[in-house]
Amino acid sequence: MTAPALSRRSVAQRGASPVAARRGWRRDLTGWAFAAPFVVLFGVFMALPIIASFVLSFTSFGLRDLQNPIGASFVGVDNYARLLSDAKFWKALGNTFYFVGVGVPLTLGIGLLIASALSRGITRFRTAYRVGFYLPVITSIVAIAVVWRFLLNPDIGLINVLLRNVGIDGPNWLADKTLAMPAIIAMAVWRNLGFAMVVFIAGLQAIPAVLYEASSIDGAGRWASFRYVTLPMLRPTILFMLVITTIGYLQLFEEPFVMTGGGPLDATLSVTMYMFQQGFAFFKQGYASAIAYVLFVIVAVIAFLQFRFLREDA
Amino acid sequence: MRFAPRAAALLAAFALTFGLTACGTNSGSNAPAGSSGTSGSSAAGGSPAAGGSGGTSANLTGELTVWAMGNEGTKLKTLADAFVKANPGVKVSVTPVDWGQAVAKLQTAIAGGTTPDVSQMGTDMMGQFGATGAFEPVPADFDKSQFFEGAWNTNIVNGAAVGVPWYVETRLLYYRKDIATKAGITSPPATWDDLKAMAKALQSKGGAKYGISLGTKNWQEYFPFLWSNGGDVVDASGKPALNSPQAVEALTFYDSFFKEGLTPKSVPEGFDITPAFVKGDYPMFFSGPWHLGLIKDAGGAGFDDKWAIAPMPKKTSATSFVGGSNIVVYKNSKNKDAAWAFVKFLSDPTTQALWYKTVTDLPAVQSAWQDPAVASDPNVKMFGDQLKDTKAQPATATWSELSSAINDILEKMTTGGIEPQAAADQMQQAAESIGVK
Repeated sequence: MTAPALSRRSVAQRGASPVAARRGWRRDLTGWAFAAPFVVLFGVFMALPIIASFVLSFTSFGLRDLQNPIGASFVGVDNYARLLSDAKFWKALGNTFYFVGVGVPLTLGIGLLIASALSRGITRFRTAYRVGFYLPVITSIVAIAVVWRFLLNPDIGLINVLLRNVGIDGPNWLADKTLAMPAIIAMAVWRNLGFAMVVFIAGLQAIPAVLYEASSIDGAGRWASFRYVTLPMLRPTILFMLVITTIGYLQLFEEPFVMTGGGPLDATLSVTMYMFQQGFAFFKQGYASAIAYVLFVIVAVIAFLQFRFLREDA
Repeated sequence: MRFAPRAAALLAAFALTFGLTACGTNSGSNAPAGSSGTSGSSAAGGSPAAGGSGGTSANLTGELTVWAMGNEGTKLKTLADAFVKANPGVKVSVTPVDWGQAVAKLQTAIAGGTTPDVSQMGTDMMGQFGATGAFEPVPADFDKSQFFEGAWNTNIVNGAAVGVPWYVETRLLYYRKDIATKAGITSPPATWDDLKAMAKALQSKGGAKYGISLGTKNWQEYFPFLWSNGGDVVDASGKPALNSPQAVEALTFYDSFFKEGLTPKSVPEGFDITPAFVKGDYPMFFSGPWHLGLIKDAGGAGFDDKWAIAPMPKKTSATSFVGGSNIVVYKNSKNKDAAWAFVKFLSDPTTQALWYKTVTDLPAVQSAWQDPAVASDPNVKMFGDQLKDTKAQPATATWSELSSAINDILEKMTTGGIEPQAAADQMQQAAESIGVK
């Protein structure tokens, strides 16, 4: 199979004869035909909306323009300027950073801890543990959020019932503006650490055993071998998990949407939730698109910075 | 990593929001999810012979597409059949629309020019969709005086009526008679002072955990107090009036229940008043007709004489909130004569009474309340009496945004963050910046 393909390429590369050129053109077409399902779907359902929403973010598109979308008026950077003085947006942005800032390190830290434990320490029921930690990842987030809402119920929820048994009067977790976000972070960490665990286990298994042998010969203890062998070797894995988790967490939506509705007093309102509210509840789609693009830029910048500072050769 | 479940969750999210916004019940309210009607037993069923008295059967022809939501959507065929019987030339096809998808579906239809001829429209959706200019103005020959005034007013968008009331709901006070008796109270509260005194007595002498259940962030529960005190969302000149002295006084009264511990400053997400009322923790709350059935079911045998309902307590007036659904005809309709004939048929007193028997939706037409089927239940009749003194939110395009802002500010006040005067000023500021047009 490879031989004719190779020779054809060499013919095309020479590109002298018109026959060969036609052949090359035809091969391009075949390639595009194979790629067409993706290209068309991506173009229609991803690229177009992405462009459309970018254009929308410079208009005042709203309810009144529904019947005649072309008639929406251009307002320049008005939407972006308004965002700057929108206290609720800043509050949502602050909440989102709070969620990311606490949630990401916890998810990665605990994920790495469990991964190390499961790949070295614990041998019994190892598979059961792995399944147990991974199960929340593949469970519907809405189902999980609803169940956690029950767990956190101040009167009949499992958590407060347990607390009551040891004599503590548990708070109304989700209705308390200082505790609502931590409760949501706890849930998100529990839900996502399974994925981190799986990726870290794979990364740990790729570290050659000889390195650990060498370090133990050099007299390194458990901590030293973790610090000077495991961590540096895992660096690419950690970077990957850091970027993926940060991007995911910056888009925080379902958890507060189902559990708190953004409340109490906007304590769990995230940027995506605010965008959803503006775009679909109030139908101010121009403004909502502007929020979406601001979030997009934030995500891009943060991902860039993470790559910049955590690269192998940094 | 989270993308596949994310898509599914987003769909559910859509369903949830629209489910909530479409029926006009905000979180923290005493209303159940779903439309404002209880899922009633279709007692009468079948098509009535006398049903068609309302339609002007002047040889109408053509086809009509009608969209109706929730329970109404599944049962509307009964009425459509009766209409066709009186107007054999017309073919009516009813499309049931889930409340959860109603807003998105209507937005798509309006944007794409594929609206039905006629559709049901929640009273709280009138402003939002009226602003798109998709509705046909109501013909002058409609007699608006036959409807409850509050219900008719929900159809007025930019000064013109663009819909006709179909069914209504209003809010009354539900209270525990047995706990009241224990606390030495024998009659329902007639005034605001009575209400306060009763809440205190039920909690201190009646042994209830709280005196009453009031929403921490629900304009639908605050506005009756605003209206009963002579205030309103907008004044006669159409300007916001949310920080009028009347509004501040109403907010102060509302807030006092929270300040004095008569109602909790926060309830668990997904709090359900029905079991809490049956248990006796919350011996009073304001809600609509659907709770008649819910309490009956939750209370079981022997509970019926332990509770009762009462009209809004009076200040300068005793004005309650009116909700429900209207019927609109779309500008795109190619068969407007038949469409309006169908709307007339739906608002005929006979049809309205039949509709009550079919889905227990309260008639929006006053004379339908004389029908024995409606008038025989004293509890239902009390809702009918209250309906004569009701108001609704202004039908502005910005209502969903403004109401959400008002709820946020109410929450700030009821949880103790700000004082009523500041809350009123913030509401006024929100109304001025968001606009009430």
